[in-house]
Amino acid sequence: MKIKIKVKGIVQGVGFRPFVYRIAKKNNLKGYVKNMGNYVEIYLDGKKEDIDNFIKDLKNKKPPLSRIDSLEIIECNDIINFNDFYIIESENSNFEEEGTIPADVSICEECLKELFDKNDRRYRYPFIACTNCGPRFTIVEKLPYDRENTSMRDFPLCEGCLKEYKNPLDRRFHAQATCCPICGPKVFLSDGKNIIAEKDDAIKEAVKLLEEGNILAIKGIGGTHLCCKVSEDEPVLNLRKRLNRPTQPFAVMSKIEYINLFAEVDETEKEVLLSPSRPIVVLRKNQNYDKYFSEYVSNLDTIGVMLPYSGLHYLLFDKEIAYVMTSANLPGLPMVKDNDEILEKLDGIADYFLLHNRRIVNRCDDSVIKKVANRFVFLRRSRGYAPEPIEVNVNNDKNILCVGPELNSTACIVKRNKFYLTQYIGNTSKYETFCYLKDAIDNILKLTNTKKIDVIVCDLHPQYNSTKLAEELSEKFGVEIFRVQHHFAHAYSLLGDNNYFDDAVILSLDGVGYGLDGNIWGGEILLFKDGKLKRVGHLEEQYQLGGDLATKYPLRMLLSILYKAIGDEAFNFIKRYNFFSEKELNILKFQLEKKINCPLTTSTGRVLDAVSSLLGVCFVKTYDGEPSIRLEPIANKFKGNIEVEPKIKNNILNTTELIYNAYEMFIYGDSLSKIAHYAHIYIADGLFNIVKKIADKYGIETIGITGGVSYNKIITERILNNANKENLNFIYHKRVPNGDGGISFGQGIGYIINEP
Amino acid sequence: MKITRMHGAGGKVMQELIKDVILKNLEITSVNGGIGLESLDDSATIPLGDKEIVFTVDGHTVKPIFFPGGDIGRLAVSGTVNDLAVMGAKPLALSLSLIIPEGFKLEDLERIIKSINETSKEAEVAIITGDTKVSDGVDDIIISTSGIGIVDRGKAIRDCNVQEGDAIIVSGNIGEHGLSILLSREGFDFDVNIKSDVAPINKLIEKVLEEGIQINAMKDPTRGGLADALNEMAEKSNIGITIFEDKIPISDEVQSICDILGLDPLTIANEGKVVMAVKKEDAERCLEILREHPLGKNAEIIGYATKEHKGVIMETIVGRRIVDMPIGDPIPRVC
Ligand SMILES: [Fe+3]
Ligand SMILES: [Mg+2]
Ligand SMILES: [Zn+2]
Ligand SMILES: [Zn+2]
Repeated sequence: MKIKIKVKGIVQGVGFRPFVYRIAKKNNLKGYVKNMGNYVEIYLDGKKEDIDNFIKDLKNKKPPLSRIDSLEIIECNDIINFNDFYIIESENSNFEEEGTIPADVSICEECLKELFDKNDRRYRYPFIACTNCGPRFTIVEKLPYDRENTSMRDFPLCEGCLKEYKNPLDRRFHAQATCCPICGPKVFLSDGKNIIAEKDDAIKEAVKLLEEGNILAIKGIGGTHLCCKVSEDEPVLNLRKRLNRPTQPFAVMSKIEYINLFAEVDETEKEVLLSPSRPIVVLRKNQNYDKYFSEYVSNLDTIGVMLPYSGLHYLLFDKEIAYVMTSANLPGLPMVKDNDEILEKLDGIADYFLLHNRRIVNRCDDSVIKKVANRFVFLRRSRGYAPEPIEVNVNNDKNILCVGPELNSTACIVKRNKFYLTQYIGNTSKYETFCYLKDAIDNILKLTNTKKIDVIVCDLHPQYNSTKLAEELSEKFGVEIFRVQHHFAHAYSLLGDNNYFDDAVILSLDGVGYGLDGNIWGGEILLFKDGKLKRVGHLEEQYQLGGDLATKYPLRMLLSILYKAIGDEAFNFIKRYNFFSEKELNILKFQLEKKINCPLTTSTGRVLDAVSSLLGVCFVKTYDGEPSIRLEPIANKFKGNIEVEPKIKNNILNTTELIYNAYEMFIYGDSLSKIAHYAHIYIADGLFNIVKKIADKYGIETIGITGGVSYNKIITERILNNANKENLNFIYHKRVPNGDGGISFGQGIGYIINEP
Repeated sequence: MKITRMHGAGGKVMQELIKDVILKNLEITSVNGGIGLESLDDSATIPLGDKEIVFTVDGHTVKPIFFPGGDIGRLAVSGTVNDLAVMGAKPLALSLSLIIPEGFKLEDLERIIKSINETSKEAEVAIITGDTKVSDGVDDIIISTSGIGIVDRGKAIRDCNVQEGDAIIVSGNIGEHGLSILLSREGFDFDVNIKSDVAPINKLIEKVLEEGIQINAMKDPTRGGLADALNEMAEKSNIGITIFEDKIPISDEVQSICDILGLDPLTIANEGKVVMAVKKEDAERCLEILREHPLGKNAEIIGYATKEHKGVIMETIVGRRIVDMPIGDPIPRVC
C-alpha cells in the first residue's frame, strides 16, 4: 500500500528526516521524506504491517529534540514507484500554515566528547555541532530551516563535512550548522585595534588573559558576553564601573562539577541547568561562596548560574571554576552582536575581544529561571526557548499580534492555539531597543510565515512606545487595535499559562501599569468569573511623589506615605538619611501639599521600595525592582514568627498602616530583618485575607498570583501556604514569565477571551 | 464623555478633540486657497493680490492673572502677535475682547489694560477694535485677541515644511512661562528666580527674515512645550527630528526645579520663544542674528531634521530617548 504522512511540530533541524530515513530502511519501506518548511511530508510504499511498525517507531523513537504535534495520514493511489527510500531537498512553496523554527540547543554529549578527543578532526573546534545540537533560531534568516537560509551559508562545506552531511546514517546528516576547522567559522582575538591571535591560539590566549584579570568581550552563539574571573574584586569592580552597573548581580558560567562548591543546588535545579536550553538558574549561595567569589559579583543571597552551552564556552575553562558572563549591552540597550558594533560599543569596556566570523542573525539573551514555591518560573524566557510556541487550549482562528508593554518586553504572534513569543527585547523607551522590538516583530512574522494580521493588541498606557508602534502597525495592516489593561494582561497570562479558564481570584502585583481609572496600578485583586475579569480590590492609593522620580528614589515613596501617617514629622525623620538637601525638602513638602506631579498609585513595588529605603537598604534604583529585590534577602534572615494584623477596609489593604508600623519598629530599634519580614507578611497576609473573602463570597476555589512581585519567594510562598491551609487551589506560572515578559502572551489571551 | 482638564492641556488629547469634534463638523474652512483651519497651523491666510492676509485668534485664561514676568494682558498681546509672526508675517493690528466676571477689581482691569498697551507698543502692533462683556458665568477674566498681519503671496512660513538636513533652532531658554505660572499659582515662595518669558517676538523674527535667512518651518512652542512643537513639525513635515539634550537651552533654576518636581522641561509651555527649521547653510548666521537681540541671546542649534527616523529623538548621555507628544500631566511608566 501507499500512504502519505504529514507531520507537524518541531521537525526541522532536529535530525527528524534522517531518523525517518533510518526507520523507513529498517522497516523495508520505499518512498521519500521531504521538508515542507512548516511540516514534513513522508511518502511510504510497502507492506501494511511494515507501515504500521514505521508509524509506531515514528511516535516512540523520535529524536530527543523533536516534537510531534500532529500526524495526518492520507491514503493515496499515486502511481509513482520508488526503488529505495530518499531524503528529498526542501521545497520552497508558499506555506499557508505556521512553521516552527527550533530554539538554539546546547552542545550534545557526543559533540562534547569529540571536542576533547585529540584524535577527532574537530578536536578543540569551538563551533562543533550536529543534528542534535547547536544554534538554530539565532542563525536562521528565513524558512525553511536549511543551510542556505542561515548564516552558515557563508561557510560552504568541505569535502569531509559534505560527506557527513549527505550520509543519512551520519549524526551530521543535514545538520545545518555542521562545520569543521577546515570549512567553518574561525575565532580570533583582538585588542581592539589588531588581531593578536587566531583559531585555537586565540582561545588559549583569551583564557590566559581572563586568568590575569582582564575583561573580555566574547562573541558566542546567539549573543555577546562580557566576561571576567569571579575570584578577584578588581576585574568585577572594573566591569561594574565601565558598564555603569553599580549593584545589579552578574550571572556566572560554571561547570556542573563546580557548582556544589559555592551554591546550593538540588536535583531538579541540576536538571534544569543541564537541559538543552541551558538557562541561567538562580541558586542560593552556600556557606563557602565567599571563598571563591568576590563580594561584588552579587550582593543578594543568590547567584545566577549557567553551564557552558557551546564548544567555545567549554574551551574557556581551565583553572577558573566560574566566570562572570553578562550580556554585552549598555543599560537599557540591546546586546551587541556584530563584530564592528562589538568593537565600537565596547571600546573602553572590554580589554580584549574574542570574536568570530559567523554572523549572529537573531540575538537572543540568556534565559533566566528561578525556583519559587517549588516550581520553576521564567524571569526571562529567551535563548533555548524562543521562538518555540506555547500552546493553550483556546479556540482562535485569528492572527493576533501583541506588542507587549514597555519594560522587559517581548512581543507575541498568536495563530490558532499557538503563542509565539519573541526573544527578550528589553526596555523599549530607548530608541535602539524600540527598533529591536520592531525587528523582532518582523522576524517572528517571517519565521511563522504570517502574511496577514487580523488584530493588534497593546497596553492601555497612552505613552508606551509599544502603544505607538501598535497604532503605526494598525494603519499599515489596516486592522483594529485592542487594548488590554496591564494587570488584566498579567492575569490573563496566568490563566493561559495554566490552561485554566474557570472562575478564580487573581493577585496581579508589580511596579507600574496604567489603570482603567487613569491612576497607576500595581497591587490588584482581580475576579475572573463567568469569563469576565474585574477589579475587586487593591492596595491603598498612595501619592507617587514626583511621578517616575519616586521609582528611582524610593525615599520619596517613604516620605509620601509617612507624611500621610505622621504629617510634618515625616520631613524631620527623613533628614536622618542625609539624602535630600534642606532646599529639596522644602520643595518636596510644597509638592506633596499641592499635589504637583503626584499621581496616585496602588503599586506593591512602591510600598516595598518605601520599606527598603526606610531600612537603608536602597536609596537609588539602578535596575528594575532593585529596592524590593534587595529587601528580600534581608527579610530572609529573620527566623521566627511575627504577629501581623493587616488593616483592610472595602477590600483595600491599608499600606499607610504598614509603613507606619515599620517606622515605629525602626524607631524602637527592632532588627532590620524583622521589619523587612514584617512588611512582606503584612502584604502577603493582607492580600490573602481579601482574596479569601472574595473567593468565599462567590464560592470560588482557585486563586493565583502573577506580576513581577510574584517572583518574591516570601510573598508567593506565604500566599501558597495560606491557600493550602484554606484548601484553595493555587495557580502560578510555569511556561510564561510572571513579569512583563509575559504581558504580550496575556494580551493575546485577553483578546481571545474578550473577542469583540 | 465630558471635557476634562486634559482636553485643554495641549498635546495628544487636545489634538483628538480638535480633529474629532471640531474639524469634523465644520465644512467651509479656507478662503481663496489660502491656509485654512484644517492645517492647524499657527495662523490662517487669505490670498489677496500679491499679498496674503494672515489671521489668527487666541483666547487667554490664566491663573494667576499677575505672575512673575508678566500678566494676562501681556500674554494676550504676545500670544496672538507671535502666532502671526511665526507665519513669517508682519503683524498689523489686534482686536481685544474682554469677558470680565462680576466683582472684578477695577484697578486690576486698569493694570491689565496698561500692560496691553505697553506690549502693543513693544510689538508695534495697534489695537484697533474691541468688545467688552461682564458675566456672572465665568470665574476669572478671559481675554480673546484676534490678529491680522500681512505677508507676500506664497511666502507664509508653515509648520509642515521641515526639510531634510535643516538645523533646528530654538530662540532661548525653555520652560520658563509654564513653570512660573505653576509655581505662582500654587503659592511657591522660595528663593528662586523663575520668570515667565512672555514677550512679543515679531521684531526678533523680522530681523532674521530681513537678513535673508531661509526658514523652512517655524512654530511657537506654547502649550505642550518644545516636545509638542517639534513633534507637530516632524509629523506634519513627514520627517524625523534629532535633538541633543546638552544643546537645549535651559536655565539652571528651571532645570533644578524640574529635577526635584519630576517634570520634563521639554513639555512645559513657553510664551516668548520660537522654534525654526533653518536651511543648514544659514544656521550659524541665523544663530548670530538671534543672539544679537535680547530675546534671542540664549538661542541654540538644538538638532537637525533627518529621514533616518520618524518623530523626535533626543540623544542623551544614556542613549537615545524617544520624545513623546505630551498628553497633559505626565504618567509614570518606569517599573
Ligand atoms: Fe507588570
Ligand atoms: Mg500657536
Ligand atoms: Zn552534537
Ligand atoms: Zn568541514
